[in-house]
Formats: sequence, C-alpha cells, structure tokens
Amino acid sequence: MSHSHAHADLALAPDNVYLSDNAGRSLWMGLGAVGLGLVAVTVLGGITGDAKTASIALHAYHTAAMYVMGIPLGAMGVVMILHQVNAGWSATLRRQFENVMRLMPVGIAAIIGSFVLQAVFVRVFPAGEKAPYLWNWMNPAYIDGDPLYAAKWPYLTLWRFYGCALLYFAIWMGLSSALWNYSTRQDADGDRWHTARARKLSAVGLPLFAFTTAFAAFDWVMTLDFHWFSTMFGVWYFAGNMVGCLATTLLVLVLLRSFGRLHVCFTDEHLHDMSKLLFGFTVFWAYISFSQYFLIWYAMIPEETLFFIVRREGVWNYLAWGVPIGHFIVPFILLLPRPWRRKRGVVGLMCVWLLAMHALDYFWFIRPEVKGSGLHWLDAVGVVGPILVLAGALVRQVASGPLVPLKDPRLGEALGHTNTI
Amino acid sequence: MASAPDQTGAAALWGLAAEFSDPAAVSHAAEAVRDAGYTRWDVLAPFPIHGIDKAMGLKPSRVSFFVGFGAFLGLTSAILMQGWMGGIDYKIIVGGKPLLAWEQSMPIMFELSILFGGIAAILGMFLTNGLPMWYHPVLKTPALSRASDDKFFVVIESADPKFDRAGVEAMLRGAGALNVEEVER
Repeated sequence: MSHSHAHADLALAPDNVYLSDNAGRSLWMGLGAVGLGLVAVTVLGGITGDAKTASIALHAYHTAAMYVMGIPLGAMGVVMILHQVNAGWSATLRRQFENVMRLMPVGIAAIIGSFVLQAVFVRVFPAGEKAPYLWNWMNPAYIDGDPLYAAKWPYLTLWRFYGCALLYFAIWMGLSSALWNYSTRQDADGDRWHTARARKLSAVGLPLFAFTTAFAAFDWVMTLDFHWFSTMFGVWYFAGNMVGCLATTLLVLVLLRSFGRLHVCFTDEHLHDMSKLLFGFTVFWAYISFSQYFLIWYAMIPEETLFFIVRREGVWNYLAWGVPIGHFIVPFILLLPRPWRRKRGVVGLMCVWLLAMHALDYFWFIRPEVKGSGLHWLDAVGVVGPILVLAGALVRQVASGPLVPLKDPRLGEALGHTNTI
Repeated sequence: MASAPDQTGAAALWGLAAEFSDPAAVSHAAEAVRDAGYTRWDVLAPFPIHGIDKAMGLKPSRVSFFVGFGAFLGLTSAILMQGWMGGIDYKIIVGGKPLLAWEQSMPIMFELSILFGGIAAILGMFLTNGLPMWYHPVLKTPALSRASDDKFFVVIESADPKFDRAGVEAMLRGAGALNVEEVER
C-alpha cells in the first residue's frame, strides 16, 4: 500500500500531469489557421471551377469530414468500453481518450460543413444530372425514373436524412458531454460515485453509439451511391474509427511522454497494451474490409459490384492495392514483435503512418464517387484542411487541463500495471 | 518405503527443496536464487504467480518462433495448394471467376496459417518444455505434493554447477524457507 502511495505522489506531481501555461498556443493557432485557410481554398477552388471540379472539392472535403467526425466518435466508444468493463489498467490514460472525445463539436461542424457546402455548390452551378451533389439521390434530375430510388425512397428523403443527423448529433453531444463532466467533476470533488454513474451511462450509451455510428455511416458514406449497399458498412466505419482514435490518442500519449510528462502514468507497460489494441484493431479493420470486398466479389450482384468496379479502375486501383498494404501489412509486420510494441519511437511513427492510411482508406471509399475523374490538387487541400483544424483543436484541448483523471478510484491499479505476456 | 540405493550404495541426492508459505515469499526467494547465479532450479506452485518469470530470470518463451514458422508454412502451402488445384490440376470456371484469383484463396490462406501456426505452437511447446515427461524426482517426495495444494517450493538440482549441499541449504534458509527437504533421484 505504501508502495502505491509513493507512486501516486510521484505520478500526480503538478509538473507531471499539467502542461505549462499557454503550452502549444502558437501551435494550435497555427494549425487551426492553416487548416481553415485550406478549407477556404477548397471552397474557392470548387466554386471557381466547373461543376466537376466543384464535385471533386466537395468529395475531398467530405472525406476529411468523415475522418474528423470519426476520431472523436471512436474515442467516445473507447471511453464507454473502458467504463463498462471497469478497466483499471487504463485509468491514467483515459483522460487523453476523453480529450479526443471532447472534439465532438469539431466533427459535427465538419459534417454540417458537408451539408452546407453541397447546398451552396448546387445553387452556384446549373441544375441537371451533372450538378455537384454529394448525395446524388437529393438531385431530382439524377433519380428521375430510377427504379432503385423508387424502391428506397422512404429511407432516402431529406426529412429522414437531416432529422436522423440531428438525432445522431444530439446523442453524441449528450453522451460525450456527460462522460466528460463526470470525469472532470471528479477531478474537483473526488466523488468516486461519478465513476459508477459513468459506468451506468455507458451501458446505455454503447448500444446507442453502435446504432448511431452504423446508421451515420449508411447515411453519409454508403448513400453517396444509393444503388449500392453493404450490410457490414457500419462495422467498417467503426473499425476505421477505432484505428483512427487509438492512433491519435497513442500519439498524444507518446508526445506527452517525450515532453517529460506522464512519468509512471504512461509506462512501457501501458504503451505495450495500447500497441496491442492498435494492432488488434488494424487486423480487425483488414478483416472487415476484406470480408466486405470478398462477399461482394463472390456474389457478383450487379448493384453491389459496381461500387468496387469503379474503385478498381484508373488511379483508384493503385489505392485499392496501396491501402491494404499500407493499412494492414506494414503495421502488421512492424507491430508484431513484442520489443517493438514497447518502443515509443516505433509506435509513434506507426501512429502517424496509420493516421495517414486511415485518411487514404476514406478517400478511396468516398472520392471515386466523382465518376470519370482522376486525382486533382484540390484532393490534397480538401482532405488536409479539416484534419489540421482537428489537430489544432486537439492540441488546445490537451493543453487545457490535467493530463490524467486526478482522483479516479482506479488510479492505484493503473499505476502498478504490468504485462505478464 | 526404502528408496533403491544407487551403484555407489548411498541414496542419490537429486536436489534440495525449500518450502514457502505464500507467493510473495517464494518470489523473493526466486530473486535471491536468480541473483546467486544458479541455473538448474525451478519453482513449484499450485497456481501461476504473476511476475514469477521475471523473478526467476526466465528468458522469453521461444514458442513464438515456432508459431511464426508454422504460420508461414501454412500460408505457403495454401498458396501452392490453391494454385495447383484451381489453376493447374482441375481447371474449372466457377461463377465466372478467374482460375487463379487471390480473393478466393484468401480464406484458405488465412485458415491454413492459423491451423499450422496452432499446431506449431503445441509442438513447439512440447519441444521447449520437455513434455511429455513420465517421471520426475519431485513426484517421489511426499512433502512436495503440497505444491499442488497450498505450499510453494524452490527446488535446486544437485546437477547445478554451483551446488554444494550446505551452501544451498544456508542460502535457502536465509531467503526465508520454512523447511528444506532432500529430494532423491
């Protein structure tokens, strides 16, 4: 007992669990300004070009919007899972997941940005089948006489679409704010029942999270081509988000450790377990992505195969090979040896690499919907802009408070955590 | 029951066993034995003790190399098997798919990697831990049977290059042993 007390004193020393005042201020302002600037360039580039350029800009932006929405969502899922299983080992790391989760408004703003940008673009450019819609089923000229639209119209209506979006936003904001408040109030008053309340909320929140993220993926990505459907699409979005949020959080932890914070709180043992999770969800992502492709390849139902035919032509075919290699085979090999999973340098680099691959994965799913187009300079600008804004918001969020839940009842367990295997 | 005398006439000493009452005590004793530089010794306990491999200074298990080799072998045989059967020996077009599509071989490649890896894990485990072993001297010593019930033991073999009976007994008692027993061959 005295051993863990000595640990706790060392771990919770202010220079270990706080960043200095105004830390990262110029960094987050810079990231935010450049990011917003790139978003503005995307919008201007879309408006000043032709309808196809506008569509390219819109799809590139939407790739980033799904990315920026998915990372806080995944982090919220992890926070709820950790509460639900009463995880002790991760108590010192949970605040960083909560910091990522706290970026929920940035993600929601990014998705609303997609709605607004589409609305602006379709007003600027002439109506017709080629109008720059993100969701073609909203284009009256596109769906005219389409039998598949006629079969699916009850789901594909504007009221249902925007109504559900509002519902998802409300549920995600509600859950993430409540979880954040339990955790930060406990910092102040030390009431251990906050932990129990968070656990109860997570029991309700996890099914809500599962359904809303799956349907958000259906609404915002799958219906980009409303002819197409995949029953495992919700799981694909979940798997990608888990990789994204784990890589983001682990990168934050590794960087904080290299700035001389989180001694004792984030040891090689915690790093090892986080690497295992990252490795596991990388494999899970590969399993889901391959299964989705494989079943459609095998069944050869025309409305399903079209999706992959488009994505295996031209420049997209390079991504069709590059993404599985970069997102699965490379991290699988580099994160397999036990000693490498315990090296902050290797794991930190893998996090950066996986975050880039995660963006490419979404890009490959969303961007080829602009039929008959190749790569465009707006792709880079449109994808990177919102992601930089998210990075800036994350730096600001991490610097704004204590780096661990200061009075979590399971802190002692987390401080003494070791791996037996 | 009298033990059989060996060729020299004296009952052969196989090793010394020290008894401890709890996992923490046996872990500390294991650290002492490790630091004293003994190489042929073991810890007996009724259940797995967290951190005992570190306390004993055990090297990481080599089973993972067997698993890696087995998985690679499985992957290779799956590729060769699928290629031979579908592409060379029995060419038949199913569902309009190419004869040598990697997609349809993927589940086989995955499953055979897992299967061969799993079998290699079991074989590797037997090869590295010396099982099956039909007889072991500690089974003959009645006092040590409590290692499967409520006691913890450190056993140092007389074959250890550093073994000398009086020194080992003193060291074990110094490490907090409740009792030191002789183990016959």
